[in-house]
Amino acid sequence: MIEVEGLTKRFVDKDAVANVSFFVPEGEVLGFLGPNGAGKTTTMRMITGFLPPTSGTIKVAGLEVAHDSLAVRARIGYLPENVALYPEMRVEEYLRFRAAVEGVGRAEMRARVDEAADRCMVADVRRQVIGTLSKGYRQRVGLAGALIHRPPVLILDEPTVGLDPRQIVKIRELITELGREHTVILSTHILPEVEQVCRRVLIIDGGKLVADGTPAQLRSGFSGAAQLAVQFEAPEAEAQAALAKLSGAAGVRSEGGGRFRVAVEGGADLRREVFSLAVAKGWVLLELVQTTPSLEDVFLRLTTHDAAAEAEAPVAEVANA
Amino acid sequence: MRKLFALVERELLAYFSSPLAYVVLTAFLFINGYVFYLIVAFLNDPRTQAMAPLKLLFGGTIFFWLYLLFVVPVITMRLLAEERRTGTLEVLLTSPVSEGQVVAGKFIAAFVFYLFLWLPTCVYVWILAGHATIDFGPVWAGYLGIAVLGLLFLSVGTFTSALVRNQIIAAILAFAVLVVVFSIGLVENIATGAALKGALGYMNLWNHMDDFAKGIVDTRHLVYSLSLTGLFLFLATKALEASKGR
Repeated sequence: MIEVEGLTKRFVDKDAVANVSFFVPEGEVLGFLGPNGAGKTTTMRMITGFLPPTSGTIKVAGLEVAHDSLAVRARIGYLPENVALYPEMRVEEYLRFRAAVEGVGRAEMRARVDEAADRCMVADVRRQVIGTLSKGYRQRVGLAGALIHRPPVLILDEPTVGLDPRQIVKIRELITELGREHTVILSTHILPEVEQVCRRVLIIDGGKLVADGTPAQLRSGFSGAAQLAVQFEAPEAEAQAALAKLSGAAGVRSEGGGRFRVAVEGGADLRREVFSLAVAKGWVLLELVQTTPSLEDVFLRLTTHDAAAEAEAPVAEVANA
Repeated sequence: MRKLFALVERELLAYFSSPLAYVVLTAFLFINGYVFYLIVAFLNDPRTQAMAPLKLLFGGTIFFWLYLLFVVPVITMRLLAEERRTGTLEVLLTSPVSEGQVVAGKFIAAFVFYLFLWLPTCVYVWILAGHATIDFGPVWAGYLGIAVLGLLFLSVGTFTSALVRNQIIAAILAFAVLVVVFSIGLVENIATGAALKGALGYMNLWNHMDDFAKGIVDTRHLVYSLSLTGLFLFLATKALEASKGR
């Protein structure tokens, strides 16, 4: 449904997005993850045609954004990051306006406005002036506007920012439901959101694509991240040596007080072996937990190295001066 | 066409739901009423020679130009600058409407509002008609002149509003460009050389309006104003295209 090939956007002297390629099949809910300023919004704006790319091509439903801009725009429902609305309009007036601009015919107008208002739970404020609505309502009015013409593609830039926990749950349910009929790209930096809503995740950092896969793939593909936390009442050095000898243990780190962290290779489960070891040696086993990496671990691992490098750079400059 | 209509409708709604519209309307009526009173009082003086009062109202005095120069930037300053500031422009320009349609929608709405400003002056015509016989030819021509000059001035304002995100800056820019557009023809009076004088005379808006108020509908005047209108609307569309994502 969406094909992005070698997409690059250069602002003055730095690449906001550098050579990004990905493909989104029809009916997929794609999560777009990345720290602030990673290039998520820039990429989304290029897909919607709001921002021309420096190089690369984008195709939506087989149409190239650069050539068939209007046709592509008609197939996309877009909710920008700041959810800009006209504060002086009533909710219903706004939805009717959006519908007309998106090309909804007069005959279907009423049905579409009703449908969008119901789905996004704004039917109770239809007669209210947008400027008087709470942030949560405004967000949902924006979303209703984006899907009023039933676009095959929905692009949502941080749709749950600024909502209270209950509203977040509702919006996530709605997005999951929308994913059954629409192809959805959703950007966020809230990781549990991605786990719940998205079938596939792209992680972007510093304008570059650093990961692409299902949440499960990203976790398991991250070798050496599975860990075993063990605590014995035992001689420190002897216990560490014994743990390191276990087959499948990639490394053992002592944390003091008989606590150890064992890195596990290839997702093996060493809990039985550790228990047998404790029984054989007569050590008291106080703790035994196998942890799999969360998406958060993957995300942090993939995106923090740059920040560290950036933090070091000014120090080096000062030293030189 | 339906999309354009929706754009115009939304813009008019925005005009009449902001206090600015009513302030402009009130101030405009107040000044216009005052000028009309002055003209009638002045003409009532037996020492003045007989003149058509509406001819004086339509462009015959500096007041006409003063408020055209001030009121038009106030009408147009919000059009695109505000959409850019709040970010609604992003929604609009990612909808299946062209930049040209957006500019046209804004411009038409501003023109409708401008005509609405002039609507109450019809009362003056009605008042005068009650006291004297009126030659309606020059009155129609005068209103036509007001409309045509309005198109030109509003197109300048639409253009400057497409350039920036700050309404005040858009208004000041519009005022600056309008002063040039208005005064370039006035240089005719001090120009030497037949060719230059002729060229500047062609661009003399004061004379254009004077002719309209006399009842002369000169197609050269129409062509001048309408082609400049087209130029500024074209520039506004290009400015909007160039500013995408900025």
